[in-house]
Amino acid sequence: MLAAVVSLPEPFDTPFMQRALLETLLLAMLGGVLGSWIVLRRLAFFTHGTGTAAFPGLVVAGPWGVPAQAAALGTGLLYAGSVERLGRRAGADAATGLLLVAALAVGVVLASDVYESGAGVDRLLFGSALAISDRDLWLTAGTVAAVLGLDAALRRAWLAGGFDPVAARSLGVPTAAADRLLLAAVAVAVVVALDAVGSLLVTAVLVIPAATVRLVADDLRTLRLGAVGLGAAEAVIGLWLADTLNVGPGPALAVLASAVFAVVALATAVRR
Amino acid sequence: MSPAVRAAALGGGYAPGDEALAGVDFALDPGRIAAVLGPNGGGKTTLFRALLGELPLRRGTVELAGRPAYVPQTDRTRLDFPVSALDVALMGAYGRTPWWRRVARADRVAARDALARVGLGDAARTRFGELSGGQRQRVLIARALLQDAPVLLLDEPLSGVDAVSAERIEAVFRELREEGRGLLVATHDVEQARAWDAVLCLNRRQIAFGSPAEVLTTGVLQETYGHELVVIGEHRAVAVEHHEH
Repeated sequence: MLAAVVSLPEPFDTPFMQRALLETLLLAMLGGVLGSWIVLRRLAFFTHGTGTAAFPGLVVAGPWGVPAQAAALGTGLLYAGSVERLGRRAGADAATGLLLVAALAVGVVLASDVYESGAGVDRLLFGSALAISDRDLWLTAGTVAAVLGLDAALRRAWLAGGFDPVAARSLGVPTAAADRLLLAAVAVAVVVALDAVGSLLVTAVLVIPAATVRLVADDLRTLRLGAVGLGAAEAVIGLWLADTLNVGPGPALAVLASAVFAVVALATAVRR
Repeated sequence: MSPAVRAAALGGGYAPGDEALAGVDFALDPGRIAAVLGPNGGGKTTLFRALLGELPLRRGTVELAGRPAYVPQTDRTRLDFPVSALDVALMGAYGRTPWWRRVARADRVAARDALARVGLGDAARTRFGELSGGQRQRVLIARALLQDAPVLLLDEPLSGVDAVSAERIEAVFRELREEGRGLLVATHDVEQARAWDAVLCLNRRQIAFGSPAEVLTTGVLQETYGHELVVIGEHRAVAVEHHEH
């Protein structure tokens, strides 16, 4: 897709940096559109948990010869289903946290003692935006298109269901089906974000930009457009920082996004 | 004339063995307002959920003249949501908007009209969470107006609202009655109930249903509220609220 290098200023003048840029910009769109719903519907912890749950899947994908995304989606959906089941008895927060730790621990044991993944573990946990393949890009682009379609169809159900779940059904809105599709969309978005930012940092692209804009946005339109814009800006600056300071792109993005959130949170707290 | 709402041997609960409500039998004609009286935990919200078909375990039968509009207590809504009063009112049109379409222009006009009708024409752009409790209640009523439902179920719409809101809400109720709609209104105000057409008393079962004159007797009220009822004089009774949250 990007065989020929497009003429861009440094450091975006190499094919691998351009792929990284394209991938993170696509993820910024996901983070803006889906991230707004994640934040409004209080699914941030669930998103982080699904990312972490993908880790053992990623560890076994290589040795088992399965595509990484398929394995990650498998464990991610298993996780989501388990949270749903266990949540009814233990409470959703407790179930999310408990299963998150279990998944991380299983992944570590598999990585260090069973498959001896060694240095590869870093890449699985924190991503490697500089090693994005064409297939990764296509998967992410396809997910962006699917999420935009879902959002167009279900936006009203997600809004009404989140605002007032009891009355939403009496409004004739199919909240149960819409909510399940939202969780599935989050799981798929997490999976396509793994290559760039890894299991532990998916919230840096899927949650933090929207959470930051949420501090200042009063309506849904501003929130969504603002989150896409902020995510895109953070993608460009994060990659530039990673190249300049010679650190991993995933961590660079996560630190940048958190710092911006902290500054905005502080500024809005002072203003009030 | 077929009733707006009819319940026969209606009851049920939230889990097996849990009998939150039992033995509800009544029929409300179109163009009538019925007060639903009862202590907290007496089954008012449970009745609404049963009528909406949302009670996990339901027995008995329900007949409705059409899909009812439901106005929940405002504390069930998320005040931090980035929605304006107009956005919330527009939700009343979601049920008739196909998923591939935008909300129709006519519905946007209707939403503004509904807000004007509850006296909030100027607040259409105000964020829902920034409105007062009474104003929020009026926005939820505007949303119900947009549903154009033959039956409205309102869960304590007059509890804790300011005088201006209460006056506006009661005026809208009278208009809805004129339009031939049936209203079931949960309330704690016995005097309020006296002004409407019928009263349904609940305390985990139906205690009584009928005209205010028949139902609002000291005996029935004592049976409805038990120890929560304070009787003042011969014709005055005040239901004391015990809030557990």
